[in-house]
Amino acid sequence: MRERRSTRGTVTAAGDGEAPLGAAFVLQWVNELAFLVRDQRDYLTQLDAAIGDADHGINLDRGLTAAVANLQGMAKETPGDILKAVGTALMFTVGGAAGPLYGSGFRDLGQALGSKAEFGPEDLLVAFRAGLDAIQKLGAAAVGDKTIVDAFVPALAAFERGLRAGEDLPASATRARKAAEEGMRATVPLQARKGRASYLGPRSMGHQDPGATSTALLFSALERAAGGPNGPAPERP
Amino acid sequence: MIQSVRRAALILKELGSSPRMGVTELGERLGLAKATVFGLLRALEAEQLVERDEEAGKYRLGPAMLQLGNAFLDNHELRARSLLWAESLASRVGEAVRVGVLNGRRVLIVHHVFRPDNSVQILEVGASIPWHACALGKAMASYLEADQRSELLDGDLARLTGKTVCDPTALDRELDQVARRGVALEDQEAIVGEAEIAATVFDHEGTPVGAIGVAGPVERLLSDGPSPHVVAAVRETARSLSREMGAGRLSVRAR
Repeated sequence: MRERRSTRGTVTAAGDGEAPLGAAFVLQWVNELAFLVRDQRDYLTQLDAAIGDADHGINLDRGLTAAVANLQGMAKETPGDILKAVGTALMFTVGGAAGPLYGSGFRDLGQALGSKAEFGPEDLLVAFRAGLDAIQKLGAAAVGDKTIVDAFVPALAAFERGLRAGEDLPASATRARKAAEEGMRATVPLQARKGRASYLGPRSMGHQDPGATSTALLFSALERAAGGPNGPAPERP
Repeated sequence: MIQSVRRAALILKELGSSPRMGVTELGERLGLAKATVFGLLRALEAEQLVERDEEAGKYRLGPAMLQLGNAFLDNHELRARSLLWAESLASRVGEAVRVGVLNGRRVLIVHHVFRPDNSVQILEVGASIPWHACALGKAMASYLEADQRSELLDGDLARLTGKTVCDPTALDRELDQVARRGVALEDQEAIVGEAEIAATVFDHEGTPVGAIGVAGPVERLLSDGPSPHVVAAVRETARSLSREMGAGRLSVRAR
């Protein structure tokens, strides 16, 4: 396993009145995500073996590795362009359903940030909404279908609640991570209504959804990049 | 007596749609007295059609169901005749192959050959997919009599992905194209990232009895339009399989 680069503290997360977020922040977010997915690769794949093609961890790891490699030399690009590049890399290298879903999610997230060099937590909230929209447009999934959406929707709502309560980015990101993990765990008893897992009918019950699990990692990575208290790795049942 | 057979069948279907259930829960779902449900379960248990989980005291389907399910597959003529054709189609194109029949408004997968790359895959035999969301279903629907086709088009057309075609007029047009193209296409309409190219299988009367298709990643099957190599292989295989099902050369060619 790759050594985790400790860049914590070099990126200042911004709440209201704090330093704005920029390219360094999104680069760190993507790097943290790549690290977490590499770390949890076998776990993700093991979850997928129960209700899918046992390739979720391997595919996401391959895609994020390619995405991170792509980002070399992009530190001077806008945050939006960086995230769009991540989306494109995921779309072409991940495969399966996760490639198009996460790919278009990141692409639209980047698109929503526009060409600004700096942005704040509110912009991030708007961008997250655009990312979720892209995912739901493609997959037509709602909460309860046992997909990525089951973790994404509550995470986004919690993130917004945090900002509305006047919390800074680290605190709001922690809320989002916790809500994503809750949503992820809530997929266990569900019967899948989307994707190949839905072909299994009741056999899909009792298994945690791999997509919701990787989405929880996405918010865990956000929390780490924001410099908030390091959340524990998602629980293993 | 006939009522009890029907009730027993309902119990089996309930157990087939959830991992396991207790007597009370079954009674509530079916609106039957506990004693009635219990009596039926005992009779089913004696035939090994259900079994009781000793620990939880709940019931689930029994081992005799597997034998019945297998017997269904073994006796399925299209499946039996498709085994070799499906295998050779899969190795020819290097992708997974599925054979399906129309069962009401859904396609029942009766045979599935894994993509020949030694990767872990889920066996889809027994899966039931809304007809309008898969190439197999569209391949069959396009050759149905007009009244049967409109019946399919008029019913519920659920959205499975953002790409599922749920508009009856658009679907109708697509079904017309199937005959011209010789294959039905599915572009991520059932599962994001997945595509299928399928062709109809006919019997001796020229009636569509099923369909055979190649399923795989959309970027391999439909990147610059449908892969000509796969289209040709699927059409040839469906023709051969139809001949084996008794379809005459002329009746197939006329289609």
